[in-house]
Amino acid sequence: MSADQDRGGAAIRAEDFIDGFRRPATQGNRVRDMNPISVFLVLGSLAVIAVAVPGIVAPSTVCVVLVLISLAGGVGRPFIGNFSRLFVAIGLLLFVLRSAFAGGTPVLFTIGAITVSMEGVLEGLRFALVVMAISGTVTLYFALIPIKYSMLALELKGVTPRATYVLLAAFQAITDLGKNARVIMDAQKARGIETEGNFVQRVRAFVPVLAPVFLSAIAATEEKAIALDARAFNSRVNHSHLVTLRPTPAWEVVFVAIAILCAVVACAGAVVPWY
Amino acid sequence: MRRCGGAVVLVSLHDVRFTYAFTEGPALDGVTLELEPGLLHGVVGMNASGKSTLCALIRGVVPHFHEGTLEGDVQVLGRDLSDWDPADLSQTIGCVFDNPFTQISGIKDTVFEEIAIGLENLGVPREAMIQRVKEVVERLGLQALIRKNPNELSGGQRQKVAFASIIAMDTDFIVIDEPTSQLDPEASEEIFGVIDQLRRHGKSVVLVEHKIDLLARYADSIVVMKEGRVVMHGPTRDVLTSDALLDANVPPPEVTALARDLADAGKELPFMPITRSEAYQAISRRMEGRPRGHHTA
Amino acid sequence: MATDNSFARLMKSYGRLTIFLIPIGIAVNFVGGQIALLLKLPLYLDSIGTILVGATCGALPGALVGLLSNAINSITSPPTFAFAILNVLFGLLAGLLGRYGVFKSWWKTLLSAIPFAFIGGFGGALITIWVLGGAAVGGTGLVVGSLVAAGMPVNTANFVAQLPIDLVDKVPTVLIVFAIISGIPRRLMVKLPLGYVYLSPSGGGPGTGATGASRVR
Repeated sequence: MSADQDRGGAAIRAEDFIDGFRRPATQGNRVRDMNPISVFLVLGSLAVIAVAVPGIVAPSTVCVVLVLISLAGGVGRPFIGNFSRLFVAIGLLLFVLRSAFAGGTPVLFTIGAITVSMEGVLEGLRFALVVMAISGTVTLYFALIPIKYSMLALELKGVTPRATYVLLAAFQAITDLGKNARVIMDAQKARGIETEGNFVQRVRAFVPVLAPVFLSAIAATEEKAIALDARAFNSRVNHSHLVTLRPTPAWEVVFVAIAILCAVVACAGAVVPWY
Repeated sequence: MRRCGGAVVLVSLHDVRFTYAFTEGPALDGVTLELEPGLLHGVVGMNASGKSTLCALIRGVVPHFHEGTLEGDVQVLGRDLSDWDPADLSQTIGCVFDNPFTQISGIKDTVFEEIAIGLENLGVPREAMIQRVKEVVERLGLQALIRKNPNELSGGQRQKVAFASIIAMDTDFIVIDEPTSQLDPEASEEIFGVIDQLRRHGKSVVLVEHKIDLLARYADSIVVMKEGRVVMHGPTRDVLTSDALLDANVPPPEVTALARDLADAGKELPFMPITRSEAYQAISRRMEGRPRGHHTA
Repeated sequence: MATDNSFARLMKSYGRLTIFLIPIGIAVNFVGGQIALLLKLPLYLDSIGTILVGATCGALPGALVGLLSNAINSITSPPTFAFAILNVLFGLLAGLLGRYGVFKSWWKTLLSAIPFAFIGGFGGALITIWVLGGAAVGGTGLVVGSLVAAGMPVNTANFVAQLPIDLVDKVPTVLIVFAIISGIPRRLMVKLPLGYVYLSPSGGGPGTGATGASRVR
């Protein structure tokens, strides 16, 4: 491609990018393009169902459904990876500990002071699966919906941008402060402050490193306040939005309604066990 | 409203004194100053001469944000400072300062959205926002950056984006406080190009700077400050070639210092230059009057 | 107006700077935790920001820092959210203690580690038992696990382990908070909701740090 064609191409891509703001934001996937609040309600309903319906069938079904949703949402691989890790790290541990100390009949086997029974195993299994189901819904939500769209959905529903600012700024602050801290840590290492050594030494190395980093971050908030004020952060006018979410199609509303209905039925069942 | 040559006076200070809370000694100690609109006013002085406090005062940051005792008469855009709503004032007067890192909001992940942030806060409709940001991007030559994450830019790039987001708000008056102090010479030149553009668009600019050579090229008038007072205020040429500058311990432009040295050595130039191009002219003119050849005697 | 809801009004009553300090408090929590891991310290050090913001901006901002830090952590490890209430309590307590000038002197600050550790240790043990069935995770989990293996019932093991661990964690935490508060320049302190506590001359307080005078330009 000649340089001119290159420039032309770049200009067209830039124009496309800008034009993108005239259309609703899209992640290119039916599931992920759902309104964040819809996704929240659907996943929340699944979590409620996992908790409300007794036994191990409900939470395990929910876990499977979560995996299916992740595949439909195009985030299958990362989600399944994270979910499996959670299962091993926490699910297994919860299962073992709960079963070990649940007591009950019939006894399956005994190891020292620990008596393992069928009831206990089932209870442990259910407990672990419920925690996994709930954890799975949280993990899946954030795998499907980037934080900025969640915040945008909230703002479009009337939440003040100052609240969403706090959360979004927190993420960036974590990155920035982390970078600064690492730079100072490396500088301290070069100066010979012990980063290895016994416990007390390392704690003593901690304070002179971190206090100035934190202090300069705190001092910078003054300027940040002024800079954002200059960008009308304190304006009392209703904010507009450059990026927008697509209007909710009928099928999405129906889908969410069904999910909520199932959750309600599940809860009703917990109160009046019709099953 | 005070009028000056038919236009509203930009800023009018009369015997203004300001002391920050918990400090000894005033930051502004009897400042009387009048600034005309539509010009680029440079403000120079040593550290702690009150330059930044002056900027903060004009924007109402002092005394609304930084507490302290304020005395004297301050009028901004024809209205008394105490009559201004602080939020209105900070939206009416744009502001860019020296730290490129604190001026990036941190909540947007593309430069395009970052530039639009003030417009969003002001409730500007989307299409108007897009047009305005496109305009600013073109004027400042930021096309290559619009998709990038503002939190990953260099200092100079961030400063340009900071300018862009203020310029997008299209205020008629902008206060700029040492915008190039953390930038390398190349980025500084670019920033000054942006500032010159503002002036050519008829904006009023108050610019605090140490880089006197750059001010010499672009400023219409210069305010010299020393220990919280205004020592001299006048057209650029008059101020830069005066002794008041030296009194305030502000180094004059390189070429002006050179011309002075030449004058001291008996080789006076036909006129006192303040920019390189003027120096070139002055030296060429002087050399035209000289015979060819070079004698050591 | 959409922007004038209760959150906005609450923040307004706390002053303009609080809303910018909350993200910093959250970041401090995270970076503290990261550095503790980096230095291989057997501590959490993840509540420095919560207590700092509570001590300087008040109970609710502190609680918010705690809650949001926990929520963000829960994104990658959802069971963490079970402990959210503890972080909220840290923030509330820090606000209360801050108002009474506890963080003005180093020995009062040191003593404050005790109630914080009690919340963290006792509360932590309770939640671990109720919600997680006694399955503590991480380093604490190792200690609890070894106590259980030695024959201690799991509930007792949790209480025995978590309280001292939390105390060892909270002592450096509160001391770092004290060090940071001592270093906040007066001109900044005056803009913080609880700044007046640290600026008033009563009691042996921390120094004023960098004075405002050097910030005059």
